[in-house]
Amino acid sequence: MKAYVTTILILAKSLLKRFFRDKTALFFTFLFPLIFLFVFGSIFSGDGLSSFNVAVINDSDSEFAREFISSSEEDELFTISETTDLETAKEQVGRGELEAIILLPEDFGQPSGEPTLPRGELTLLYDQADQQLGQTLTSILSGIFDGINNELVPAEQPFSVRVEQINTANLSQFDYLFSGLVGFSILSLAIFGLSNGLPADKKSGVLRRLKATPLQSAQLVLATMLVYVVVGLISVVLMYAVGFVVFDATMVGSWLWLVLFILLSLIMLLGFGLAIGGWAKNENQAAPLSNLIAFPMMFLSGVFFPRFLMPDWLQGVSAYIPLTPVVDGVRLIMTEAKTPLELGPQLALMAGWTVVIYAITVRVFRWE
Amino acid sequence: MAQPIITVTGLSRSFDDIEAVRGVSFEVARGEVFAILGPNGAGKTTTLEMIEALRTIGDGEITLDGHDVATEPQAIRHLIGIQLQSSNFYDKMTLTEQLMMFGGFYSKKIDPLELLRQVELEDKADSYPENLSGGQRQRFSIATALVNQPQVLFLDEPTTGLDPQARRHLWELIQSIQARGVTIVLTTHYMEEAELLADRIAVMDEGKIIALDTPDNLIQQLLDRGFTKKKQVRQADLEDVFIDLTGKDLRE
Repeated sequence: MKAYVTTILILAKSLLKRFFRDKTALFFTFLFPLIFLFVFGSIFSGDGLSSFNVAVINDSDSEFAREFISSSEEDELFTISETTDLETAKEQVGRGELEAIILLPEDFGQPSGEPTLPRGELTLLYDQADQQLGQTLTSILSGIFDGINNELVPAEQPFSVRVEQINTANLSQFDYLFSGLVGFSILSLAIFGLSNGLPADKKSGVLRRLKATPLQSAQLVLATMLVYVVVGLISVVLMYAVGFVVFDATMVGSWLWLVLFILLSLIMLLGFGLAIGGWAKNENQAAPLSNLIAFPMMFLSGVFFPRFLMPDWLQGVSAYIPLTPVVDGVRLIMTEAKTPLELGPQLALMAGWTVVIYAITVRVFRWE
Repeated sequence: MAQPIITVTGLSRSFDDIEAVRGVSFEVARGEVFAILGPNGAGKTTTLEMIEALRTIGDGEITLDGHDVATEPQAIRHLIGIQLQSSNFYDKMTLTEQLMMFGGFYSKKIDPLELLRQVELEDKADSYPENLSGGQRQRFSIATALVNQPQVLFLDEPTTGLDPQARRHLWELIQSIQARGVTIVLTTHYMEEAELLADRIAVMDEGKIIALDTPDNLIQQLLDRGFTKKKQVRQADLEDVFIDLTGKDLRE
């Protein structure tokens, strides 16, 4: 028994050394998830509303109109495009480059009427497909005008609405995204990284030579798993470093539980790569099977969009796929400080999948 | 014959519709060099792989040093060393590291430098296998086969693709291993090699052994049947010319 384990450790050590000498593998393993993190992080970081892209067609030469435009630009409510031609702007709205057009007519902001005040009516043009955006912009603009009206003609306002955000632990959209990206990077390492390595070693004849020694297939599988556990942990640590340093991620739970949970997730998901790589005779067999298994997992487990947006029946099915408890668990530990005891359902599901996939791996493994 | 270390009885194996090996029986004596000759597709490699417990036995029985190959493959793997016809090694792993790893498979503490010295590769200890020449690679392959101090060493076409210098060099290595009492079973396409190295030769064709004897006896039997060479044999051949012109030193 001791000799059995020692052999695994010696093999794992040799393979790990070899892994760190392969510059291409290092690039794809460690840098690729970070690039993903930067791209998605940049899109989703920051709280609340982003500014709207609009074109302002100003036909008025009034002082009021100029101030109105510059102040709304300063408030960062709008990003005003350089387009000043109405037809061009309409085309841009059609293509989705702009979200709306604000039309200031010739008499906008010109003092008139009784009492003499700057008056005017602006026109908001938006794509009819985007009703929600139209309503949002209308209420924003109405709000601005309410403020201006109140300054010009002070009036008592007996009723008002106070707006308060409820957001426990002050989480950003990025915090929700981050756990998905962690799950995603473990999955890609396990399924795409690992499942190519073993078939390549079969094709080159390396495994054939190993088969001629007393080494057993389970030992090779476990040694390979150990190598990728180490590699995966390093990759996840790098992701957390970037997540916290660059994107200000939030962590309210226990780091120890998080590390343990990620370790168990890695072991489970690596099983899928080991099963594919152990079965496939070459990369041509491994690649389609990897895609077949990885892509549904990615899209159904709440990595890129929340599962509650799915129809009920799909939510029911996707609750049981292996990546779902990983993404949920990481999220619950990081944002809600859950302990393993409270993650019982996730851990039970992961344990089940781990047993099943490793049983399959041992059964389908081929040396050549 | 001395106590046989390998006994093969009625060995057969077919793939789909092709009968690769058909009822082969022979014995290999402890300490001898036993060569299996035959054209491509004669069933040499399949026979070898069944003895090595690399391939399931179709029909028949093999015992190696008292162990039944079919039921005790793990015991067999500890007793034998194998140099495969087309084997490869992990890239980006030095020769020393590979040998340590192989030692791990046998749960043996080994001295990689000593093994490399035996195959004259000690100066390549820190090289990767992908940077070795053909002859060096074959010698390294033999070093990995010697990791567990095997009773029987299997060499499948060890000199195929090597230049005459590297081939002679490998012959010397094989002879030195035999001198240490290791039994050697090899296949080859080179008659000169078989004649020089082998104590006994089995000639295979179409999955059967069609002749089995010492090289001298096989030649004598042919002469006794009244065979004469068409061309008068000269005292040297083209390979002698090549070696004379280019020297015996290894080029790698």
